[in-house]
Amino acid sequence: MLDVQRLRKEYGDLVAVKDIAFQLQPGDVFGFIGPNGAGKTTTIKMLATLLEPTAGTATLNGIDIVRYPEEVRPLLGYMPDFFGLYEGITVTEYLEFFAAAYRIPKAQRAAIIENVLALTDLTVKKDAYVETLSRGMQQRLCLAKSLVHDPILLLLDEPASGLDPRARIEIKELIRELGAMGKIVLVSSHILPELADFCNKIGIIEKGELLVWGAVDEIVSQLQANRVLEIKPLGEMEPLIQRLERESHVHGVEQRNGSLYVHFAGGLEEQADLLAALIRDGYRIAAFREESLDLEDVFMQITKGEVS
Amino acid sequence: MKRWLENPLLYYQLYGVTRNRWKRQPFLYGTAVFSIALVYLLLFQLVSFTEAGFVSTLSLCLFAMCLGAPLMAYNLFSLEYEKQTWETLALTRLTAKEILWGKWGTALMRVAGFTVLVLPLLLLGIHTDISNDLATKLYRFVAGVLMLFGWGALIVSLGMWLSFKLRRTLTTASALYAGQVFALMLLPLLLFIFTGGDVPIEFIGAIQSYREGIYWWIASFLNAWALLFLNPFWAVYQLNLIGFGDDFLFPRGESYGVGLRYMGWGFVQGGVYLALALLFAGLTYRGLKYAWRK
Repeated sequence: MLDVQRLRKEYGDLVAVKDIAFQLQPGDVFGFIGPNGAGKTTTIKMLATLLEPTAGTATLNGIDIVRYPEEVRPLLGYMPDFFGLYEGITVTEYLEFFAAAYRIPKAQRAAIIENVLALTDLTVKKDAYVETLSRGMQQRLCLAKSLVHDPILLLLDEPASGLDPRARIEIKELIRELGAMGKIVLVSSHILPELADFCNKIGIIEKGELLVWGAVDEIVSQLQANRVLEIKPLGEMEPLIQRLERESHVHGVEQRNGSLYVHFAGGLEEQADLLAALIRDGYRIAAFREESLDLEDVFMQITKGEVS
Repeated sequence: MKRWLENPLLYYQLYGVTRNRWKRQPFLYGTAVFSIALVYLLLFQLVSFTEAGFVSTLSLCLFAMCLGAPLMAYNLFSLEYEKQTWETLALTRLTAKEILWGKWGTALMRVAGFTVLVLPLLLLGIHTDISNDLATKLYRFVAGVLMLFGWGALIVSLGMWLSFKLRRTLTTASALYAGQVFALMLLPLLLFIFTGGDVPIEFIGAIQSYREGIYWWIASFLNAWALLFLNPFWAVYQLNLIGFGDDFLFPRGESYGVGLRYMGWGFVQGGVYLALALLFAGLTYRGLKYAWRK
């Protein structure tokens, strides 16, 4: 379990990360969302023990990352936003280097490397020189390197940046698979559709402050206290608008592109009652649905577009 | 011992990264090897047939070390920063000592390799040396090789530390070359200018014991003459003036040569270079340990 407790980083007067706190369980894929300069990379580097926090700490399986960085490092895998690979060696040799650096016994290395190569779909490239790989493959190799010592926490800083659509999809699939393997995966990005598909939890950071964090569904439902219903009627719209405005749960009706968008304060029961009442009153309804928020809507509602 | 030799960083720096380069850039590496071999053979001929003597040969080797040593260490850490591989390396279970050994050990082995490469030249040089006395020859040879290796070790250690601190390959390389030009050429020149060209080395001829030798070394550090005495080219030149027994071919007289021996000439310089090399390695280790919590 990763337990982040009031983590703070200051650079002189600048507060890069303000007392952020969250908890993650094995299997959680946590999307760390925020605009550029919000403090995502600083937070990740503190969790990776590469930066010392000004205050606060975090524990990974009960081990304090600030007091015992050397004990925590073997438990985490880190993939920076900008990374390089050792050149002049093959993919297998590169992974052997890191397996040796993580003190994996010689006898076990070959099997582990084989598994990691298979997981990251790099088996066919095992004898290729590192610098000859495409950007997407290098990204996967960097991830493979982060997996050779079987970490319990994976910190992935913008893992899909600079990748073509196919490579993005492949890396998303891989991250999903890692979550399914029971690892805690923390993925940062400022591209929301990238995270929406595979994160079960998200945290939104702006100006160094963690504005909200939790399960994606919970955050969406919290923000959707005022639902918007899209109703597509057949025939005249004006009578229907007047009818809707008489409803106590309706706070406003907008007409756009042949549909009515109803700002509705009620729950699912009230929605069902409204639909039944409209049909009973003789309105012909071709479509009736609740507009759901996606991550982009959530992000836009919560953030103000500021950086620290 | 096995753990030190199985250091993956040492393996990568020393062997992994270089072993395939020649296959991929055969023309470039072929040209380089051919050029080096040609220069080496020419030097070999020069030393064999012109009886250049030990000091001239050693000076040439030292000059080559001054040019070559920076290339053995200028990018040891800076390349990790520039290629953004450092953070992932820092997170592995390699300790600060192991990382230091991986980098420093590589550089030291390269310096040792260079020293071994020029040993035949130096042996020929000592064979054709003007002195016929075996003890003199042995003293000059051992002190000379120690200075050569010590200077190389000092440059690579300084280069490693600068590379760690400056985090820029080009800046480190420039600092190493410019630093050598300053320390080996400009500093002695300034010293000569400030003293009106009068080098007070006559006292060396009056040194009668090792105790006095130590005293004069301490004095030289206090009056800045150590800047000249520790200059490897100056020190190598002075090796020519050391002699034992009946070997009396000393331009400055026998007592001067004896004085140099009492000062441990050559061995002290070599020792100081190695001590400074250790100091820079220690500074790098300290940086690794505290800055990266290793």
